[in-house]
Amino acid sequence: MILHVAKKEMKEIARTGQFKWMLALVILLGAIAIFISHMQWQDKNEQRQLADENAKELWLAQGSVNPHNAAHYGTYAFKPQFPLSLIDPGVEKFTGVSIFLEAHSRNEADMVAAADQTGLSRFGDLTPDFILLFIIPLMIIAIGHNTISKEKELGTIMIIKTQGISNAQFIIGKWVGNFTPIALITTALFLLAALLLEAFDWKLLATMWLIYMAYFAIINSITLVVSSLTSNSGISLVSLLAIWIVSCLAIPKVASSYTNNQYPYPTRQEFEIAVAEDKKKGLDGHDPWNEASKKLEEETLKAYNVNKLDELPFNFDALRMQKGEEHEAAVYFEHNEKLKEINKKQTKVYQSLAFLSPFLPTRFVSMSLAKTDYGTHWDFADKAEKHRIEMQRILNDNLAQNSKRGQRDYKADASLLQQVPDFHFELPAFEDVVNDNKSNLLILMAWLFASSGLLFFASTRI
Amino acid sequence: MLHAVNLTKKYQEQTALDQLNLSIAPGEIYCLLGANGAGKSTTINLFLNFIRPTSGKAIIDQIEVSKDPMAIKKLIAYIPENLVLYNELSGLENLEYFIGLAGLKYSEEEFAGFLNEAGLQTDAYKKRVKTYSKGMRQKIGIAMAIAKRAKVLLLDEPTSGLDPKASNEFSELLIRLSDQNVATLMATHDLYRAKETGTDIGIMKSGKLVEEVETSEINHNELEKLYLNHMNL
Repeated sequence: MILHVAKKEMKEIARTGQFKWMLALVILLGAIAIFISHMQWQDKNEQRQLADENAKELWLAQGSVNPHNAAHYGTYAFKPQFPLSLIDPGVEKFTGVSIFLEAHSRNEADMVAAADQTGLSRFGDLTPDFILLFIIPLMIIAIGHNTISKEKELGTIMIIKTQGISNAQFIIGKWVGNFTPIALITTALFLLAALLLEAFDWKLLATMWLIYMAYFAIINSITLVVSSLTSNSGISLVSLLAIWIVSCLAIPKVASSYTNNQYPYPTRQEFEIAVAEDKKKGLDGHDPWNEASKKLEEETLKAYNVNKLDELPFNFDALRMQKGEEHEAAVYFEHNEKLKEINKKQTKVYQSLAFLSPFLPTRFVSMSLAKTDYGTHWDFADKAEKHRIEMQRILNDNLAQNSKRGQRDYKADASLLQQVPDFHFELPAFEDVVNDNKSNLLILMAWLFASSGLLFFASTRI
Repeated sequence: MLHAVNLTKKYQEQTALDQLNLSIAPGEIYCLLGANGAGKSTTINLFLNFIRPTSGKAIIDQIEVSKDPMAIKKLIAYIPENLVLYNELSGLENLEYFIGLAGLKYSEEEFAGFLNEAGLQTDAYKKRVKTYSKGMRQKIGIAMAIAKRAKVLLLDEPTSGLDPKASNEFSELLIRLSDQNVATLMATHDLYRAKETGTDIGIMKSGKLVEEVETSEINHNELEKLYLNHMNL
């Protein structure tokens, strides 16, 4: 009987003129969003690969060079573009894609797409995640707002009630009937994306599809609950639009403002001042006269049981440089950990507010699966920093072992530059993404159960 | 087949139905007459379990309606004053849908047969019901009762607004169902139709059944006089 109701519902929906227009519009928008995103994705990917190759070529083109000059010359670490970012670009636009790796400084990511855009970008982009997170929920509301209230308005509910179908079977049939076209559209959009994507993880794509299905299932249930509890389709539509505005627009913005207010990040200026102050407290690799340098000098002479730095079996200047790097890296690490701590606190608040709207957990899990969330960016920044420290260590080690103190004209063999490994950003494993999003997944499941429970409650009120 | 035993429905201080007792045997067409608010629709709604009685019992085929409403649904067919159907579906599809909700399955030919039995023109079967007249819609209701093999037909002013020809056709269908032992309870304002179609007539006033009469024992004029007497009391 459930399928019987669902079949009729779909037949009726398919014959409704408004639905045909809506369907055409959503499919068109979805397809355009995917094609545009794919073109941009390919373009960005080529640019990144080209920039990465150029950076490597430039690095190696230094040839025979003083290792510390090479360290200052620096190179870039590029964040690879992940295939699923085509569906959900997440915060990529604001985080940047490359980090300049140089001596003494931990730089922030640059090539921030948002910075290159005009004021028009304030209106947002047509991306698949926009269709999935905002437009399809509106379509569910448009299809389902009157699915039960209309039966009450027309009086067909009276005939239905005398036929022998239970209220629960009836409402589930309605649910299936409304959900099926949405599921088909969503699946078609994901399949289209899959056709265009290259070398992607099916597990991630399937999970992302499942997450959006759960999101739509929740919205479909809420839509039917409201439609069941109201006997006027106009009131049902207005109520559902209000719910959409609150959950998809207002709550995410309120959550964002609230978390920023509760746990604000320091401004860039504050951050840089704090780092500079802490740097001053320790060893400066370029300053042989500062207190920490003098102390290192004394300790090294004592350790090697010599009286002069020139008697050391290595270039002390390089050791000082390396120790300076280590101190600076520790300062950056400490300050970045503070930022990460703020980010963790913000995320925690966000997650606690996810109980207010299924939009939030869906958004977070989707970005994580697409590897376009802040977590992935922090991971990239940390790994780039690790790479920078290792790069400095290799260069300073060469300087220490092969040059004499004060020998400014020392040039290492060009092969040294090849000893610095290429930067590779290993993606977090699928299991790690699931683990990191445990609470979001639990909240989404709670929404799924709660909305189903509400649906059964509403079935008693038909 | 259909019994009301001291059936009462009160809304706070207002009594919509007061100690109604009536019995309808298989094959009988019982017409409830009365002014608006007399309790006719309340009686129908109690047998449909749309509302629950304050006291007393509504019984269909020895089953108390409020105790086992799902069992009752298998026995009854209901046609309201305006049978609203799904405009985007054809008459055949509407019939198939509603009968499917009763858990019954028939072939398309069988459904066409039910529509034919209900008197719907063949060329209308597959037309969307938004093109149907009220009479044609009511025929779908009768086809539902036929397809459902309902033992009891509950009708709430089904001929209201129908033209005389359609009304007459509807009465003929009721009589045909009555010949198949279907017990019918019909609320109506139409004295003429009640006399022509019904086997029994009950006159209601202010929630009470004030008169019962067999249609074979009374002519049109006498019925009208009896009715008006009660209304003027």
